[in-house]
Amino acid sequence: MNARDAILQRIRDGLSAEAPVELPPVPAVWPRTNPSPEQRVERFRRELEAVQGELIRCGSMDEARSKLADLAQQAKWSVIGAADRPMCRELLAGYPSDRTSWAKQGWDPKQIAELSVGLVAAESLLADTGTCLVANDTAEERLLCYLPATCVVVGRADQMAEHLPDAWEDVARHTAEPDRRGEFVLITGPSRTADIEKILILGVHGPKRLVVVLVG
Amino acid sequence: MSSHDLHLEGAPFLKEQNAGLYEPAGSKSLGEATERSSKQNRAIAAEIPSWQDWRESARQIKQFAIANLDKLLVQFEERISARGATVLWAENAEQANRLVLDIAREHHVKTVVKGKSMVSEEMELNHTFEAAGIRAVETDLGEYIVQLAHQRPTHIVTPALHLSAEDVGKIFAERLGEPFSADHQHLTNVARRHLREEYLKADMGMSGVNFAVADTGTLVVVENEGNGGLSTSTPPIHVALMGIEKVLPSIYYLPVFLNLLGRSGTGQKLTTYTHLIHGATPGKKLYVIILDNGRTNVLADPATHAALHCIRCGACLNACPVYRRVGGWAYGWVYPGPIGSIVTPGLVGLKSAGKLPFASSLCGACQEVCPIKIDIPHQLVHLRHRAVNEPSPMNSLSERLTWKAWAWAMSGSKRYRLAMAAVRLGVRMAKFLPWHPGKLGAWTRGRELPRVPGPAFRKSWSRHRSQLDSHDRSDRT
Ligand code: SF4
Repeated sequence: MNARDAILQRIRDGLSAEAPVELPPVPAVWPRTNPSPEQRVERFRRELEAVQGELIRCGSMDEARSKLADLAQQAKWSVIGAADRPMCRELLAGYPSDRTSWAKQGWDPKQIAELSVGLVAAESLLADTGTCLVANDTAEERLLCYLPATCVVVGRADQMAEHLPDAWEDVARHTAEPDRRGEFVLITGPSRTADIEKILILGVHGPKRLVVVLVG
Repeated sequence: MSSHDLHLEGAPFLKEQNAGLYEPAGSKSLGEATERSSKQNRAIAAEIPSWQDWRESARQIKQFAIANLDKLLVQFEERISARGATVLWAENAEQANRLVLDIAREHHVKTVVKGKSMVSEEMELNHTFEAAGIRAVETDLGEYIVQLAHQRPTHIVTPALHLSAEDVGKIFAERLGEPFSADHQHLTNVARRHLREEYLKADMGMSGVNFAVADTGTLVVVENEGNGGLSTSTPPIHVALMGIEKVLPSIYYLPVFLNLLGRSGTGQKLTTYTHLIHGATPGKKLYVIILDNGRTNVLADPATHAALHCIRCGACLNACPVYRRVGGWAYGWVYPGPIGSIVTPGLVGLKSAGKLPFASSLCGACQEVCPIKIDIPHQLVHLRHRAVNEPSPMNSLSERLTWKAWAWAMSGSKRYRLAMAAVRLGVRMAKFLPWHPGKLGAWTRGRELPRVPGPAFRKSWSRHRSQLDSHDRSDRT
């Protein structure tokens, strides 16, 4: 018998005396309170800042572009690497093209590590935890979230869900699509550790800085 | 697994004598940090009105998952294979090590970056790699430190909890040739610099699995540092290690577990990164190794099934007064603390780990904090019962004789008085002995012998009673 069958057999033997258990209902976890869009954004800001992330709120994409330019100047960013998504394209429309790099297949991780910024687009945002949900279809997109020293996530205010269970229907549906590859990642603040004496330090392996550009 | 595979050094609970128990295995920072975490856990639980409902839901979901484990594993295998993953099964650590090595050899792997995985600790995979001449680098900061120091993790969530910043500075100076520093930010930067290079040159990345979702074929990896994301996406190959118990029936159940795990493990609403990995990332290879390694022994005893519900949050370790005092090494194997005292005997057998269920005060703190509501104390009592009836160190001839003598002495008032007189005499005389033999010696090395108190309770009771009686009489007259 191979290992697989042997293990499955032992499991069945162990379970044979077990009374059947019914599939439990899906818990609601958090109730929906349907806060206004403004309340959601405020909550998002509070939670994001509590986990040392930064929110840049912009009324329009034009405003977002100019704020991004300011930020780039302040932080002396050179090349921004970005996932090829409509929202990233829009945001980088005014950014110098010689300092923009689009995710491509076979992109060398060493080059991604050299980028000043990795820019990705949010699928949805969670107000009550300050979380960005990002769909990374390829390894290169995944690396944009983890390798550069700064990660920027761009999202729209109308993508703001109240909390994880509120956004979950979509996540579950997309996760179940058989052709889906890569990952969904929930990002809540910049990378951190408390492994030495439980003291919180930011930017251990992943980005030291997380900026969410929220449009609308 | 046979007992000679276990490394029992520094494992007083598993040794014949409890010598070593009073060496500084625990530390001040460990005691303080666990106490703080535990307070935090209680505060979080008190703050969330539906916390108890979440726990009950999680318990029911896990119960369902274990009751249907065979079907769910097969479904998971089918779904994740359809997404380009290769699923492999291992009955024990040896088989799992061989599978990993075969993959590494097939792809000419020289360097491996490893995200956190308790299963890999179970397999002692790093030894296997070393013997095969493959460089394996732990990337979780705590694991990295512990690996550099050639130690074992003391805690399942924060592996280097027993080391101070100064210790870490010394380890980095010694092993990495870095100038000494005890500054947390500086130490973290040093690790970042070194590990960056490792990610970029690694040929293979490894990770554990927090949840394996059966209905979608999704791997869920929960982490804070970003090392999980990097280890699973930088190298061309990702090998994920999971125990058979990690499976969840449906993606719809995930939110409640994510809410419980973040809060119980590190006091976060959600951890910094939660990765839902949909099979193999395009252009990369994904292998999933499903390991039994004794878990089906736990299934063979219906009273211990719930031990397989554990999501390894570490809350019960932080809450445990015994763990806080002695630290993780005292438990002798990969899983310390209250849950370790159940899981270890299950995985390696009572014969070598039969003492562990006794390393508890049965205060119930572990069960109270456990997000899956695992009834740890009752399982410990159950395993104690088994340990004294099945082959185990608690069922040795000397143990049996000792308890026979105890039972005899306790079952008659005359015998009891006689035994107590002997004990009083023994305690009075013991201090005149130049050395104390065996277990007594191990005990007195860390403690003062108690002073024998004044007259026995029975004596003062009979005196008081006669006084009371005479009061009664005088009242009535
Ligand atoms: S037994 Fe419960 S509290 Fe302990 S690690 Fe497992 S899930 Fe956490």
